[in-house]
Amino acid sequence: MAYHSFLLEPISCHAWNKDRTQIALCPNNHEVHIYRKDGTKWSKVHELKEHNGQVTGIDWAPESNRLVTCGTDRNAYVWTLKGNVWKPTLVILRINRAARCVKWSPKENKFAVGSGSRLISICYFEQENDWWVCKHIKKPIRSTVLSLDWHPNNVLLAAGSCDFKCRIFSAYIKEVEERPSPTPWGSKMPFGELMFESSSSCGWVHSICFSASGSRVAWVSHDSTLCLADAGKKMAVASLCTETLPLLAVTFITENSLVAAGHDCCPMLFTYEESQGTLSFGGKLDVPKQSSQRGLTARERFQNLDKKASSDTANATLDTLHKNSISQISVLTGGKDKCSQFCTTGMDGGMSIWDVKSLESALKDLKIK
Amino acid sequence: TRRRTGEALRAFHTAIRSSPGNTRSQAVKEQAQGTMLKVLTSFKSSEIEQAVNSLDRNGVDLLMKYIYKGFEKPTENSSAILLQWHEKALAVGGLGSIIRVLTARKTV
Repeated sequence: MAYHSFLLEPISCHAWNKDRTQIALCPNNHEVHIYRKDGTKWSKVHELKEHNGQVTGIDWAPESNRLVTCGTDRNAYVWTLKGNVWKPTLVILRINRAARCVKWSPKENKFAVGSGSRLISICYFEQENDWWVCKHIKKPIRSTVLSLDWHPNNVLLAAGSCDFKCRIFSAYIKEVEERPSPTPWGSKMPFGELMFESSSSCGWVHSICFSASGSRVAWVSHDSTLCLADAGKKMAVASLCTETLPLLAVTFITENSLVAAGHDCCPMLFTYEESQGTLSFGGKLDVPKQSSQRGLTARERFQNLDKKASSDTANATLDTLHKNSISQISVLTGGKDKCSQFCTTGMDGGMSIWDVKSLESALKDLKIK
Repeated sequence: TRRRTGEALRAFHTAIRSSPGNTRSQAVKEQAQGTMLKVLTSFKSSEIEQAVNSLDRNGVDLLMKYIYKGFEKPTENSSAILLQWHEKALAVGGLGSIIRVLTARKTV
């Protein structure tokens, strides 16, 4: 696995360009830095300074090459590359709390912003006024929207919120697109229509992800659970209470397999068994090198017993690649149906690229369906 | 004796099964807590692991909730045995089971 330490501080968020030669990230401040790969090194090529608050979300549109960023200053900017300079355009989100996440739609003619104002701003370009405008989806969201993901039909939008729910809304904008055809989530999709709402789990929904086909949506919550709703099974929800600390990021890597990571600093595989409608843990993907087992003296054994009430020899240092929580996962190659590489960034300021084939050969019990 | 162990195990499963799920009554909750504490403290250290392994995932989560409830209101000897229950339950439920004690909206 390729691990690169960019910073000594957390990477707040990141996004890749289309050919994966450049990464845009927020170094835990008000700026966005773009790094370009030069052989095995990374060089900083741009610094985007416009936000007055921490940048909480970045998304890079692969076809139009535009960046969109959002921050705690309640603003979003669309950035266009003119020559060798990124030029920002302010988008008025009409929110009175911090923006928390932003995603371009698949056709890149809209983007959605989740915020602490308990609503989602759907932004699109109004040609006649040469200006980005936005519409709000409010009901029935009761708390901060932490994560968003678009359905491949460019209309449906999944949102995870601090009110413990995962919801799917219609973000149909008649000004920029045709009426969508029916999906397994429903056929009538006027703007703001609630197509699906999960029943209460007990944790803030940190991350949410549609499968490549769009007929499944998965989310991770702060109560250490992973859930999946399957539109092909009348929106039945499968959930798994994990043995891990809460997960903060999740993505599909095939239609049946998910990779999630969070406060345990290590990506993990989960598998959805469609026939039984169940989720199961498939194993940790970060297997540390075997640390040398040295014997304990009797004195050390007694001290362990006294301090920790157990005499096991487990190390107090982290053996994982990331030395702090992983906060974001992105698919690099292969798409969400046949992912061959994915990327993780975390609070340790590091970025790691994981190769699925290498993982499969290195971890013999790993089964990716 | 084996007969006594069997009784303790049966009492344990009964207490888990009959845990009041959705009650708002503080009195009902306290009665269940008292019963569970009695059952947990009646176990010998060597019997705990078998009892924990006989539970499913939801059972382990529920047990962990009662263990922490027991920590909240310690009696003279309860904490020592509860710590042993905690160690065995943690081995099966992982840190996730403790997280779910902290995030639960419906407490025991």
